[in-house]
Amino acid sequence: MLRRVIGIAHNTFREAIRDKVFLTLIVFAILVMGSARVVQPLTLGEGSKVMKDIGLAAITFFSVLIAVLVGGRLVYKEVEKRTVFIILAKPVRRWEFILGKYLGLMTVLVASLGVMTAGFYLIMFITGTPASAYLLWALLMTCFELAIVTATAVLFSTFVTPVASAVFTFAIYVVGHLTRDLRLLAAMSPSPVVKFVSQLLYYVLPNLSNFNIRGEVVHGVVLNPQTLVLAAGYAVLYTATLLLISTFVFGRKDF
Amino acid sequence: MVEEIRPRSAPTGPGRLARLLPLVLIIWGFVGVYLLQLTFDGTSKGKMRERLVRELMYFPSGQFLRPAAIEYQTAASDVVWLRAIQYYGHHLMTDRRYDWLGHVFEIVTELDPRFIGAYHFGAITLAWDANQPREAIELLVKGMRANPMNWQLPFDAGFIHYMLLRDYRKAGVFFEIASKLPDAWLVTSRWAAVSVAKAGSYDTAREMWLDIYRSTDNKALRALVLRQIRVLKLEESIDLMQQAADRFYAERERYPYELEELVREGYLEQIPREPYGGRYFIRDDSVRTTTPPGRRD
Repeated sequence: MLRRVIGIAHNTFREAIRDKVFLTLIVFAILVMGSARVVQPLTLGEGSKVMKDIGLAAITFFSVLIAVLVGGRLVYKEVEKRTVFIILAKPVRRWEFILGKYLGLMTVLVASLGVMTAGFYLIMFITGTPASAYLLWALLMTCFELAIVTATAVLFSTFVTPVASAVFTFAIYVVGHLTRDLRLLAAMSPSPVVKFVSQLLYYVLPNLSNFNIRGEVVHGVVLNPQTLVLAAGYAVLYTATLLLISTFVFGRKDF
Repeated sequence: MVEEIRPRSAPTGPGRLARLLPLVLIIWGFVGVYLLQLTFDGTSKGKMRERLVRELMYFPSGQFLRPAAIEYQTAASDVVWLRAIQYYGHHLMTDRRYDWLGHVFEIVTELDPRFIGAYHFGAITLAWDANQPREAIELLVKGMRANPMNWQLPFDAGFIHYMLLRDYRKAGVFFEIASKLPDAWLVTSRWAAVSVAKAGSYDTAREMWLDIYRSTDNKALRALVLRQIRVLKLEESIDLMQQAADRFYAERERYPYELEELVREGYLEQIPREPYGGRYFIRDDSVRTTTPPGRRD
Protein backbone atom coordinates (compact mmCIF):
# COMPACT_ATOMS: atom_id res chain seq x y z
CA MET A 1 0.00 0.00 0.00
CA LEU A 2 2.69 2.45 1.10
CA ARG A 3 4.79 1.52 -1.92
CA ARG A 4 1.96 2.41 -4.29
CA VAL A 5 1.34 5.77 -2.60
CA ILE A 6 5.07 6.58 -2.70
CA GLY A 7 5.21 5.53 -6.36
CA ILE A 8 2.40 7.93 -7.32
CA ALA A 9 3.93 10.69 -5.15
CA HIS A 10 7.30 10.14 -6.83
CA ASN A 11 5.78 10.43 -10.29
CA THR A 12 3.82 13.54 -9.32
CA PHE A 13 6.99 15.11 -7.94
CA ARG A 14 8.92 14.39 -11.14
CA GLU A 15 6.14 15.80 -13.31
CA ALA A 16 5.61 18.94 -11.23
CA ILE A 17 9.29 19.73 -10.96
CA ARG A 18 9.46 19.95 -14.76
CA ASP A 19 6.53 22.35 -14.83
CA LYS A 20 7.53 25.76 -16.25
CA VAL A 21 5.01 27.53 -14.01
CA PHE A 22 6.76 26.11 -10.96
CA LEU A 23 10.24 27.20 -12.02
CA THR A 24 9.05 30.64 -13.14
CA LEU A 25 7.39 31.28 -9.79
CA ILE A 26 10.55 30.37 -7.86
CA VAL A 27 12.59 32.76 -10.01
CA PHE A 28 9.99 35.50 -9.46
CA ALA A 29 10.04 34.93 -5.70
CA ILE A 30 13.82 35.32 -5.57
CA LEU A 31 13.60 38.45 -7.75
CA VAL A 32 10.99 39.98 -5.40
CA MET A 33 13.20 39.21 -2.39
CA GLY A 34 16.15 40.82 -4.16
CA SER A 35 14.05 43.90 -4.93
CA ALA A 36 13.87 44.59 -1.19
CA ARG A 37 17.54 45.53 -1.51
CA VAL A 38 16.58 48.38 -3.85
CA VAL A 39 14.22 49.99 -1.34
CA GLN A 40 16.51 49.38 1.65
CA PRO A 41 18.25 52.80 1.46
CA LEU A 42 14.84 54.54 1.53
CA THR A 43 13.60 52.86 4.67
CA LEU A 44 15.22 55.19 7.25
CA GLY A 45 16.91 52.59 9.41
CA GLU A 46 14.20 49.95 8.98
CA GLY A 47 15.94 48.11 6.13
CA SER A 48 16.36 44.89 8.08
CA LYS A 49 12.65 44.71 8.95
CA VAL A 50 11.61 45.53 5.37
CA MET A 51 13.97 42.89 3.96
CA LYS A 52 12.59 40.19 6.29
CA ASP A 53 8.94 41.18 5.77
CA ILE A 54 9.22 41.19 2.00
CA GLY A 55 11.28 37.99 1.93
CA LEU A 56 8.86 36.01 4.08
CA ALA A 57 5.81 37.45 2.30
CA ALA A 58 7.29 36.58 -1.12
CA ILE A 59 8.08 33.00 -0.07
CA THR A 60 4.54 32.49 1.26
CA PHE A 61 2.78 34.19 -1.66
CA PHE A 62 4.67 32.35 -4.38
CA SER A 63 4.36 29.02 -2.57
CA VAL A 64 0.60 29.54 -2.38
CA LEU A 65 0.56 30.36 -6.11
CA ILE A 66 2.47 27.14 -6.88
CA ALA A 67 0.02 25.15 -4.75
CA VAL A 68 -2.97 26.81 -6.46
CA LEU A 69 -1.71 26.62 -10.05
CA VAL A 70 0.04 23.25 -10.02
CA GLY A 71 -2.39 21.63 -7.56
CA GLY A 72 -5.40 22.79 -9.54
CA ARG A 73 -4.66 20.53 -12.50
CA LEU A 74 -3.22 17.63 -10.58
CA VAL A 75 -6.08 15.15 -10.85
CA TYR A 76 -7.94 16.80 -13.71
CA LYS A 77 -4.93 16.42 -16.03
CA GLU A 78 -4.77 12.68 -15.34
CA VAL A 79 -8.45 12.32 -16.18
CA GLU A 80 -8.22 14.50 -19.28
CA LYS A 81 -5.17 12.67 -20.62
CA ARG A 82 -6.84 9.38 -19.65
CA THR A 83 -3.70 8.26 -17.84
CA VAL A 84 -5.91 7.72 -14.79
CA PHE A 85 -7.41 4.64 -16.51
CA ILE A 86 -3.99 3.06 -16.78
CA ILE A 87 -3.20 3.75 -13.14
CA LEU A 88 -6.57 2.63 -11.78
CA ALA A 89 -6.49 -0.49 -13.93
CA LYS A 90 -3.60 -1.58 -11.74
CA PRO A 91 -4.25 -2.61 -8.15
CA VAL A 92 -4.30 0.98 -6.94
CA ARG A 93 -7.14 2.13 -4.71
CA ARG A 94 -8.62 5.60 -5.35
CA TRP A 95 -7.64 6.97 -1.96
CA GLU A 96 -4.07 5.81 -2.60
CA PHE A 97 -4.11 7.74 -5.86
CA ILE A 98 -5.36 10.94 -4.18
CA LEU A 99 -2.94 10.61 -1.25
CA GLY A 100 -0.01 9.93 -3.60
CA LYS A 101 -0.87 12.93 -5.74
CA TYR A 102 -1.18 15.11 -2.65
CA LEU A 103 2.08 13.94 -1.08
CA GLY A 104 3.89 14.39 -4.39
CA LEU A 105 2.80 18.01 -4.64
CA MET A 106 3.57 18.67 -0.98
CA THR A 107 7.10 17.38 -1.55
CA VAL A 108 7.42 19.77 -4.48
CA LEU A 109 6.20 22.63 -2.29
CA VAL A 110 8.54 21.82 0.57
CA ALA A 111 11.44 21.56 -1.89
CA SER A 112 10.55 24.90 -3.49
CA LEU A 113 10.17 26.45 -0.04
CA GLY A 114 13.67 25.16 0.74
CA VAL A 115 15.09 26.69 -2.45
CA MET A 116 13.38 30.03 -1.81
CA THR A 117 14.51 30.03 1.84
CA ALA A 118 18.09 29.38 0.77
CA GLY A 119 17.77 32.29 -1.70
CA PHE A 120 16.30 34.47 1.07
CA TYR A 121 19.16 33.76 3.48
CA LEU A 122 21.71 34.26 0.71
CA ILE A 123 20.21 37.68 -0.11
CA MET A 124 20.23 38.61 3.59
CA PHE A 125 23.87 37.53 3.80
CA ILE A 126 24.88 39.54 0.72
CA THR A 127 23.03 42.67 1.87
CA GLY A 128 24.41 42.40 5.41
CA THR A 129 20.93 41.99 6.95
CA PRO A 130 21.21 40.27 10.33
CA ALA A 131 19.63 36.85 9.72
CA SER A 132 18.47 34.50 12.42
CA ALA A 133 17.19 30.93 12.38
CA TYR A 134 14.16 32.21 14.32
CA LEU A 135 12.59 33.23 10.99
CA LEU A 136 12.31 29.54 10.09
CA TRP A 137 9.40 29.17 12.52
CA ALA A 138 7.34 31.41 10.24
CA LEU A 139 8.25 29.22 7.26
CA LEU A 140 7.30 26.08 9.16
CA MET A 141 3.88 27.63 9.74
CA THR A 142 3.75 28.45 6.01
CA CYS A 143 4.22 24.70 5.37
CA PHE A 144 1.16 23.96 7.52
CA GLU A 145 -0.81 26.58 5.64
CA LEU A 146 0.32 25.11 2.32
CA ALA A 147 -0.81 21.67 3.47
CA ILE A 148 -4.38 22.96 3.68
CA VAL A 149 -4.24 25.08 0.51
CA THR A 150 -2.85 22.11 -1.46
CA ALA A 151 -5.53 19.78 -0.10
CA THR A 152 -8.14 22.35 -1.17
CA ALA A 153 -6.59 22.50 -4.66
CA VAL A 154 -6.59 18.70 -4.91
CA LEU A 155 -10.24 18.57 -3.83
CA PHE A 156 -11.32 21.06 -6.51
CA SER A 157 -9.09 19.33 -9.03
CA THR A 158 -11.17 16.15 -8.70
CA PHE A 159 -14.31 17.72 -10.13
CA VAL A 160 -13.67 21.05 -11.91
CA THR A 161 -11.37 22.35 -14.64
CA PRO A 162 -7.87 23.63 -13.70
CA VAL A 163 -8.85 27.30 -14.18
CA ALA A 164 -11.96 26.97 -12.04
CA SER A 165 -9.99 25.01 -9.46
CA ALA A 166 -7.31 27.72 -9.27
CA VAL A 167 -9.97 30.44 -8.87
CA PHE A 168 -11.90 28.54 -6.19
CA THR A 169 -8.76 27.58 -4.26
CA PHE A 170 -7.48 31.15 -4.31
CA ALA A 171 -10.89 32.36 -3.14
CA ILE A 172 -10.79 29.90 -0.23
CA TYR A 173 -7.26 31.10 0.55
CA VAL A 174 -8.41 34.75 0.72
CA VAL A 175 -11.56 33.93 2.69
CA GLY A 176 -9.47 31.70 4.97
CA HIS A 177 -7.65 34.82 6.12
CA LEU A 178 -10.86 36.75 6.71
CA THR A 179 -12.73 34.20 8.83
CA ARG A 180 -12.13 36.28 11.97
CA ASP A 181 -14.16 39.03 10.33
CA LEU A 182 -16.94 36.50 9.84
CA ARG A 183 -16.91 35.83 13.55
CA LEU A 184 -17.00 39.57 14.21
CA LEU A 185 -19.96 39.83 11.85
CA ALA A 186 -21.71 37.05 13.76
CA ALA A 187 -21.15 38.85 17.04
CA MET A 188 -22.39 42.20 15.74
CA SER A 189 -25.35 41.09 13.65
CA PRO A 190 -28.81 41.25 15.27
CA SER A 191 -30.16 38.60 12.87
CA PRO A 192 -30.02 35.03 14.26
CA VAL A 193 -29.77 33.63 10.71
CA VAL A 194 -26.73 35.75 9.87
CA LYS A 195 -25.28 34.85 13.26
CA PHE A 196 -25.73 31.13 12.62
CA VAL A 197 -24.42 31.17 9.04
CA SER A 198 -21.42 33.31 9.97
CA GLN A 199 -20.56 31.06 12.91
CA LEU A 200 -20.96 27.96 10.73
CA LEU A 201 -18.68 29.38 8.03
CA TYR A 202 -16.15 30.44 10.66
CA TYR A 203 -15.69 26.86 11.80
CA VAL A 204 -16.14 25.11 8.42
CA LEU A 205 -13.79 27.30 6.36
CA PRO A 206 -10.07 26.92 7.01
CA ASN A 207 -8.82 29.52 9.48
CA LEU A 208 -5.52 30.28 7.76
CA SER A 209 -4.67 33.26 9.95
CA ASN A 210 -3.75 30.65 12.60
CA PHE A 211 -0.54 30.14 10.65
CA ASN A 212 0.56 33.74 10.24
CA ILE A 213 3.34 34.43 12.76
CA ARG A 214 5.60 36.41 10.42
CA GLY A 215 5.07 39.66 12.35
CA GLU A 216 6.08 37.95 15.59
CA VAL A 217 9.27 36.33 14.26
CA VAL A 218 10.44 39.46 12.44
CA HIS A 219 10.06 41.51 15.64
CA GLY A 220 11.63 38.72 17.71
CA VAL A 221 8.55 38.18 19.89
CA VAL A 222 8.73 35.00 22.00
CA LEU A 223 6.43 32.40 20.46
CA ASN A 224 3.94 30.39 22.41
CA PRO A 225 4.75 26.66 21.85
CA GLN A 226 1.08 25.84 22.36
CA THR A 227 0.21 27.96 19.31
CA LEU A 228 2.66 26.00 17.17
CA VAL A 229 1.38 22.61 18.36
CA LEU A 230 -2.26 23.62 17.92
CA ALA A 231 -1.53 24.99 14.44
CA ALA A 232 0.17 21.73 13.46
CA GLY A 233 -2.75 19.69 14.79
CA TYR A 234 -5.27 21.92 12.99
CA ALA A 235 -3.38 21.58 9.70
CA VAL A 236 -3.15 17.77 9.92
CA LEU A 237 -6.80 17.33 10.83
CA TYR A 238 -8.16 19.79 8.28
CA THR A 239 -5.96 18.34 5.52
CA ALA A 240 -7.03 14.78 6.34
CA THR A 241 -10.67 15.83 6.21
CA LEU A 242 -10.23 17.53 2.82
CA LEU A 243 -8.41 14.49 1.42
CA LEU A 244 -11.25 12.27 2.64
CA ILE A 245 -13.76 14.46 0.79
CA SER A 246 -11.52 14.36 -2.31
CA THR A 247 -11.40 10.55 -2.14
CA PHE A 248 -15.18 10.43 -1.75
CA VAL A 249 -15.77 12.72 -4.75
CA PHE A 250 -13.16 10.91 -6.82
CA GLY A 251 -14.60 7.55 -5.80
CA ARG A 252 -18.03 8.47 -7.17
CA LYS A 253 -16.56 9.22 -10.60
CA ASP A 254 -17.36 6.58 -13.15
CA PHE A 255 -14.20 5.43 -14.89
CA MET B 1 4.76 15.08 -60.39
CA VAL B 2 7.69 15.65 -58.20
CA GLU B 3 7.57 19.04 -56.57
CA GLU B 4 10.77 20.95 -56.73
CA ILE B 5 12.22 21.61 -53.30
CA ARG B 6 13.60 25.10 -53.01
CA PRO B 7 15.58 26.45 -50.13
CA ARG B 8 13.59 28.96 -48.05
CA SER B 9 14.80 32.43 -48.64
CA ALA B 10 13.98 35.64 -46.83
CA PRO B 11 10.83 37.13 -48.33
CA THR B 12 11.27 40.31 -50.25
CA GLY B 13 8.90 43.08 -51.30
CA PRO B 14 5.37 43.12 -49.85
CA GLY B 15 5.84 39.69 -48.19
CA ARG B 16 8.67 40.96 -46.08
CA LEU B 17 6.66 44.02 -45.07
CA ALA B 18 3.77 41.80 -44.00
CA ARG B 19 6.12 39.78 -41.74
CA LEU B 20 7.52 42.92 -40.15
CA LEU B 21 4.11 44.50 -39.64
CA PRO B 22 3.30 42.85 -36.26
CA LEU B 23 6.72 43.83 -34.92
CA VAL B 24 6.24 47.42 -36.03
CA LEU B 25 2.75 47.48 -34.50
CA ILE B 26 4.07 46.13 -31.18
CA ILE B 27 6.81 48.75 -31.03
CA TRP B 28 4.31 51.50 -31.87
CA GLY B 29 1.99 50.11 -29.21
CA PHE B 30 4.68 50.58 -26.57
CA VAL B 31 5.56 54.02 -27.91
CA GLY B 32 1.87 54.96 -27.64
CA VAL B 33 1.69 53.64 -24.05
CA TYR B 34 4.85 55.59 -23.20
CA LEU B 35 3.44 58.82 -24.65
CA LEU B 36 0.13 58.38 -22.85
CA GLN B 37 1.91 57.81 -19.54
CA LEU B 38 3.97 60.95 -20.12
CA THR B 39 0.74 62.89 -20.65
CA PHE B 40 -0.72 61.39 -17.47
CA ASP B 41 2.35 62.33 -15.44
CA GLY B 42 2.34 65.82 -16.98
CA THR B 43 -1.15 66.53 -15.64
CA SER B 44 0.13 66.21 -12.08
CA LYS B 45 3.72 67.33 -12.49
CA GLY B 46 5.76 67.25 -9.32
CA LYS B 47 2.91 65.76 -7.36
CA MET B 48 3.75 62.08 -7.70
CA ARG B 49 4.68 61.68 -4.02
CA GLU B 50 1.62 63.58 -2.95
CA ARG B 51 -0.57 61.38 -5.15
CA LEU B 52 0.92 58.20 -3.69
CA VAL B 53 0.06 59.31 -0.18
CA ARG B 54 -3.34 60.67 -1.15
CA GLU B 55 -4.32 57.17 -2.23
CA LEU B 56 -4.09 56.20 1.43
CA MET B 57 -6.52 58.93 2.40
CA TYR B 58 -9.36 57.13 0.66
CA PHE B 59 -9.12 54.43 3.28
CA PRO B 60 -11.00 55.30 6.44
CA SER B 61 -8.29 53.71 8.58
CA GLY B 62 -5.73 50.95 8.85
CA GLN B 63 -8.52 48.73 10.18
CA PHE B 64 -9.85 48.58 6.63
CA LEU B 65 -6.47 47.84 5.11
CA ARG B 66 -5.72 45.03 7.57
CA PRO B 67 -8.17 42.48 6.11
CA ALA B 68 -7.50 43.79 2.58
CA ALA B 69 -3.84 42.82 2.95
CA ILE B 70 -4.93 39.18 3.58
CA GLU B 71 -1.89 37.76 5.40
CA TYR B 72 0.66 40.28 4.17
CA GLN B 73 -0.02 43.04 6.68
CA THR B 74 3.59 43.48 7.75
CA ALA B 75 4.78 43.73 4.13
CA ALA B 76 1.89 46.16 3.45
CA SER B 77 2.98 48.22 6.47
CA ASP B 78 6.43 48.53 4.88
CA VAL B 79 4.88 49.90 1.69
CA VAL B 80 2.87 52.47 3.68
CA TRP B 81 6.00 53.24 5.75
CA LEU B 82 7.88 54.08 2.53
CA ARG B 83 5.01 56.34 1.52
CA ALA B 84 5.00 57.98 4.95
CA ILE B 85 8.68 58.81 4.50
CA GLN B 86 7.94 60.21 1.02
CA TYR B 87 5.10 62.30 2.43
CA TYR B 88 7.21 63.61 5.32
CA GLY B 89 10.21 64.38 3.10
CA HIS B 90 8.06 66.11 0.49
CA HIS B 91 6.39 68.44 3.00
CA LEU B 92 9.62 69.04 4.87
CA MET B 93 11.12 70.36 1.65
CA THR B 94 8.05 72.34 0.60
CA ASP B 95 5.22 73.75 2.72
CA ARG B 96 5.87 72.15 6.13
CA ARG B 97 2.23 71.17 6.40
CA TYR B 98 1.71 67.66 7.71
CA ASP B 99 -2.09 67.37 7.77
CA TRP B 100 -2.15 63.64 7.02
CA LEU B 101 0.94 62.53 8.92
CA GLY B 102 -1.03 61.17 11.90
CA HIS B 103 -3.37 59.26 9.59
CA VAL B 104 -0.49 57.67 7.69
CA PHE B 105 1.24 56.50 10.87
CA GLU B 106 -2.07 55.21 12.19
CA ILE B 107 -2.28 53.01 9.07
CA VAL B 108 1.35 51.82 9.37
CA THR B 109 0.93 50.81 13.02
CA GLU B 110 -2.50 49.27 12.46
CA LEU B 111 -0.98 47.01 9.80
CA ASP B 112 2.03 46.18 11.97
CA PRO B 113 1.30 46.95 15.63
CA ARG B 114 4.85 45.93 16.62
CA PHE B 115 6.60 48.41 14.31
CA ILE B 116 8.44 50.34 17.07
CA GLY B 117 10.39 52.46 14.57
CA ALA B 118 7.12 53.79 13.13
CA TYR B 119 5.76 54.80 16.56
CA HIS B 120 9.09 56.41 17.48
CA PHE B 121 9.52 58.39 14.26
CA GLY B 122 5.79 59.10 13.91
CA ALA B 123 5.43 60.50 17.43
CA ILE B 124 8.49 62.77 17.31
CA THR B 125 7.63 64.20 13.88
CA LEU B 126 3.95 64.59 14.82
CA ALA B 127 4.88 66.44 18.00
CA TRP B 128 7.54 68.77 16.60
CA ASP B 129 7.03 69.07 12.86
CA ALA B 130 3.24 68.79 12.73
CA ASN B 131 2.84 70.52 16.10
CA GLN B 132 0.38 67.84 17.27
CA PRO B 133 1.79 66.61 20.61
CA ARG B 134 -1.58 65.21 21.79
CA GLU B 135 -1.89 63.04 18.65
CA ALA B 136 1.71 61.96 19.15
CA ILE B 137 0.93 60.83 22.70
CA GLU B 138 -2.15 58.95 21.41
CA LEU B 139 0.03 57.13 18.88
CA LEU B 140 2.53 56.20 21.59
CA VAL B 141 -0.16 55.02 24.01
CA LYS B 142 -1.57 52.82 21.21
CA GLY B 143 1.95 51.44 20.74
CA MET B 144 2.32 50.81 24.47
CA ARG B 145 -0.89 48.77 24.49
CA ALA B 146 0.40 46.58 21.66
CA ASN B 147 3.97 46.43 23.02
CA PRO B 148 3.74 46.64 26.81
CA MET B 149 7.35 45.49 27.30
CA ASN B 150 8.97 48.09 25.06
CA TRP B 151 10.66 50.97 26.92
CA GLN B 152 11.17 53.27 23.93
CA LEU B 153 7.50 54.20 23.65
CA PRO B 154 6.92 55.39 27.26
CA PHE B 155 10.30 57.14 27.04
CA ASP B 156 9.12 59.09 23.98
CA ALA B 157 5.79 59.89 25.70
CA GLY B 158 7.71 61.22 28.73
CA PHE B 159 9.96 63.23 26.42
CA ILE B 160 7.01 64.91 24.67
CA HIS B 161 5.30 65.63 28.01
CA TYR B 162 8.51 67.13 29.34
CA MET B 163 9.63 69.17 26.36
CA LEU B 164 6.42 70.30 24.68
CA LEU B 165 3.51 69.95 27.07
CA ARG B 166 5.60 70.97 30.12
CA ASP B 167 3.70 68.44 32.19
CA TYR B 168 6.57 67.30 34.40
CA ARG B 169 4.39 65.02 36.55
CA LYS B 170 3.18 62.95 33.59
CA ALA B 171 6.66 63.06 32.07
CA GLY B 172 8.00 61.59 35.31
CA VAL B 173 5.37 58.84 35.28
CA PHE B 174 6.25 57.81 31.70
CA PHE B 175 10.02 57.92 32.35
CA GLU B 176 9.45 55.81 35.46
CA ILE B 177 7.48 53.22 33.44
CA ALA B 178 10.24 53.16 30.79
CA SER B 179 13.00 52.72 33.37
CA LYS B 180 11.33 49.62 34.84
CA LEU B 181 11.00 47.77 31.53
CA PRO B 182 13.51 45.16 30.34
CA ASP B 183 16.59 46.41 28.43
CA ALA B 184 15.69 50.04 29.20
CA TRP B 185 18.38 52.59 28.74
CA LEU B 186 20.04 53.87 31.90
CA VAL B 187 19.08 57.39 30.84
CA THR B 188 15.39 56.68 31.43
CA SER B 189 15.81 56.57 35.22
CA ARG B 190 17.96 59.73 35.04
CA TRP B 191 15.16 61.56 33.22
CA ALA B 192 12.62 60.26 35.70
CA ALA B 193 14.61 61.99 38.45
CA VAL B 194 15.02 65.20 36.42
CA SER B 195 11.26 65.36 35.78
CA VAL B 196 10.55 65.10 39.47
CA ALA B 197 12.90 68.06 40.05
CA LYS B 198 11.12 69.95 37.20
CA ALA B 199 14.51 71.19 36.03
CA GLY B 200 13.63 72.70 32.68
CA SER B 201 17.01 74.15 31.72
CA TYR B 202 18.44 74.42 28.22
CA ASP B 203 21.22 71.99 29.15
CA THR B 204 18.67 69.38 30.23
CA ALA B 205 16.71 69.83 27.01
CA ARG B 206 19.87 69.54 24.93
CA GLU B 207 20.89 66.36 26.77
CA MET B 208 17.46 64.85 26.13
CA TRP B 209 17.60 65.64 22.43
CA LEU B 210 21.06 64.09 22.25
CA ASP B 211 19.65 60.94 23.86
CA ILE B 212 16.97 60.80 21.18
CA TYR B 213 19.72 61.27 18.58
CA ARG B 214 21.67 58.34 20.00
CA SER B 215 18.53 56.16 20.14
CA THR B 216 18.04 55.95 16.39
CA ASP B 217 19.63 55.22 13.02
CA ASN B 218 16.82 57.05 11.29
CA LYS B 219 18.45 59.86 9.29
CA ALA B 220 15.30 62.00 9.11
CA LEU B 221 14.84 61.74 12.88
CA ARG B 222 18.48 62.67 13.47
CA ALA B 223 18.08 65.69 11.19
CA LEU B 224 15.02 66.72 13.20
CA VAL B 225 17.06 66.45 16.45
CA LEU B 226 19.82 68.64 15.00
CA ARG B 227 17.21 71.22 13.93
CA GLN B 228 15.75 71.25 17.43
CA ILE B 229 19.20 71.62 19.02
CA ARG B 230 19.79 74.67 16.80
CA VAL B 231 16.42 76.12 17.82
CA LEU B 232 17.43 75.58 21.46
CA LYS B 233 20.75 77.34 20.86
CA LEU B 234 18.91 80.34 19.38
CA GLU B 235 16.40 80.49 22.25
CA GLU B 236 19.16 80.15 24.84
CA SER B 237 21.20 82.98 23.28
CA ILE B 238 18.18 85.30 23.03
CA ASP B 239 17.28 84.45 26.62
CA LEU B 240 20.82 85.21 27.82
CA MET B 241 20.94 88.60 26.03
CA GLN B 242 17.40 89.48 27.17
CA GLN B 243 18.41 88.89 30.80
CA ALA B 244 21.45 91.15 30.30
CA ALA B 245 19.25 93.82 28.67
CA ASP B 246 16.77 93.62 31.57
CA ARG B 247 19.63 94.07 34.08
CA PHE B 248 20.82 97.04 32.02
CA TYR B 249 17.31 98.52 32.20
CA ALA B 250 17.02 97.94 35.94
CA GLU B 251 20.21 99.90 36.58
CA ARG B 252 19.94 102.65 33.93
CA GLU B 253 16.19 102.96 33.37
CA ARG B 254 16.54 102.54 29.64
CA TYR B 255 17.23 99.63 27.26
CA PRO B 256 20.53 99.63 25.32
CA TYR B 257 20.46 101.22 21.81
CA GLU B 258 22.33 98.23 20.41
CA LEU B 259 23.49 94.85 21.72
CA GLU B 260 27.16 95.84 21.48
CA GLU B 261 26.42 98.35 24.27
CA LEU B 262 25.78 95.40 26.61
CA VAL B 263 29.29 94.06 25.85
CA ARG B 264 30.94 97.49 26.18
CA GLU B 265 29.31 98.12 29.56
CA GLY B 266 30.22 94.65 30.88
CA TYR B 267 26.70 93.14 31.01
CA LEU B 268 27.63 90.49 28.45
CA GLU B 269 30.94 88.82 27.67
CA GLN B 270 30.26 88.64 23.93
CA ILE B 271 27.36 88.44 21.50
CA PRO B 272 26.75 84.74 20.75
CA ARG B 273 26.92 83.47 17.19
CA GLU B 274 23.51 83.27 15.53
CA PRO B 275 23.09 79.56 14.52
CA TYR B 276 21.32 80.35 11.21
CA GLY B 277 23.87 82.92 10.01
CA GLY B 278 21.61 85.89 10.85
CA ARG B 279 22.22 88.76 13.28
CA TYR B 280 20.81 89.52 16.74
CA PHE B 281 19.42 93.00 17.42
CA ILE B 282 17.39 94.81 20.06
CA ARG B 283 14.21 96.70 19.24
CA ASP B 284 12.16 98.51 21.90
CA ASP B 285 12.67 96.24 24.90
CA SER B 286 13.26 92.81 23.36
CA VAL B 287 16.14 90.94 21.75
CA ARG B 288 15.37 89.46 18.33
CA THR B 289 17.04 87.78 15.35
CA THR B 290 17.01 88.75 11.68
CA THR B 291 16.24 85.09 10.74
CA PRO B 292 12.46 84.74 10.32
CA PRO B 293 10.88 81.58 11.92
CA GLY B 294 10.25 80.02 8.49
CA ARG B 295 13.95 79.99 7.63
CA ARG B 296 15.25 78.38 10.80
CA ASP B 297 16.69 75.13 9.44
